[in-house]
Amino acid sequence: MNEDSRKKITVEDLLRLKKAERPPEDFWVKFDAEIRAKQLSAIVSKRPWWAGLTRSFTIVRSLQLPLGAAAAVALTYAGVRYVGIHPEPAHAVQGTYASAAPLAQAVVSTAPALAAKAPAETRELVTEVSVRHESLSPKAIVAATTSHIVQAPTFVSTEAATASPFADGIAVTLADYRSSVPDIAKASSFGNDREFEPSVAPARQAVSDPLAHMDPAEERRSRLLAPALAAGPRALASDWMKERASNNDRMYESMDEPSSNDRSLVGFRF
Amino acid sequence: MNASKTLAKTLVASPERKLEADADLAVVRQVQAGDVAAFDRLISKYRERVVGILYNMTSNREDAADLAQDAFIKAFQSIHRFQGQASFFTWLYRIAVNSTLSHLRKNRLRSFFSLETINADDPVSREVIDALTDKTGAGRDTFVRELQEKLNDAMQKLSINHRTVVTLFEIDGLSHQEIAEVMDCSVGTVRSRLHYAKQLLQAELQPYLPK
Repeated sequence: MNEDSRKKITVEDLLRLKKAERPPEDFWVKFDAEIRAKQLSAIVSKRPWWAGLTRSFTIVRSLQLPLGAAAAVALTYAGVRYVGIHPEPAHAVQGTYASAAPLAQAVVSTAPALAAKAPAETRELVTEVSVRHESLSPKAIVAATTSHIVQAPTFVSTEAATASPFADGIAVTLADYRSSVPDIAKASSFGNDREFEPSVAPARQAVSDPLAHMDPAEERRSRLLAPALAAGPRALASDWMKERASNNDRMYESMDEPSSNDRSLVGFRF
Repeated sequence: MNASKTLAKTLVASPERKLEADADLAVVRQVQAGDVAAFDRLISKYRERVVGILYNMTSNREDAADLAQDAFIKAFQSIHRFQGQASFFTWLYRIAVNSTLSHLRKNRLRSFFSLETINADDPVSREVIDALTDKTGAGRDTFVRELQEKLNDAMQKLSINHRTVVTLFEIDGLSHQEIAEVMDCSVGTVRSRLHYAKQLLQAELQPYLPK
């Protein structure tokens, strides 16, 4: 190899070799014939109707990113505007649960039809379910799902209690529960998320030791004065004890007198 | 002075290209007016360059011929939409390159070399081959064939976009701006791809280059 001239060779020089790659002359003859035939067929054949559609899809595809970004901006703007117009998001929950009313109505309307087709055992069950769903108004659903146990009774008792006996029962139960809960448990110190905690605490305190309330002096006094008191609950207790003692005596006597045929009830095996 | 001219040529299209574009536009107007035979002149003018580009992109003679024919037919069918905002050859190149890119992406795993022979009469190639070897006769032909295969192999190891940039710039001689128009990307992207592709080619063709 010629070392002096080789030093001048670069990548660009090597790529120039590819410029010199040329097809033979007969290649162009064949190329011209083929392209003429394709050109004539392109003139004769009618382009399909969806060729323009494909082109429009290509244009839309090239605009995917700008269109997507514009849609995201528009949605964000609409969301911000909506929040600005309706600043009370708490009512949105009621609207969400209010959509359950048509579903409950649909269940109620389909329940009699199902009950007519079903056997007798399931007919009663379906009737019961339909009665329950009739009493399930959207307001009652809101009251049940928000689980605001301490404050809910006032909400339910005003409107839902008049709607059905089922809601009436819930209202009464919750009112009783509310009256049993101490005032300190009703205080919402940590906001809505934590309000279930003070309502659970008194329930745990209720399960206390029952013997703690007993007075030993009172018990001893009643036991000492029992013979001097007139007949009453104590007399019934003494009759019961006498009867139990006679039963025990009879049982022991029957055990002490084995029958003549009875040899041995206990056996040993080796 | 000469270096600045070369640099300007790489950046923007040359005045000769602009004159050529004007002449092409006149022919295109004839075709749009209904003179279908006028399109044959455009085919005869650009067929070698289009086939050359597509051959260097695919390294397959038959694929290059088919893709070039399809590009000409697509250009013929869509010539009524050509408005002359870009030059005709840029528009034609874009059709051809895009068709070839989609073809290469579809057939990424299938690549067969079908190489042309290097024209020994070409002065540039003769100079390069003389610099690389002092052999004559059969030994020289074998070396040229081996070098040609190595070159095509190195080109095929490039990604499709890098290969296209190298082909358009180094082999066909388009400017950065024209390549950016053809490939629908920025001039900076073209330069970046060109730089990276040359680095890869340098590494691949190291045995044929001086240290």
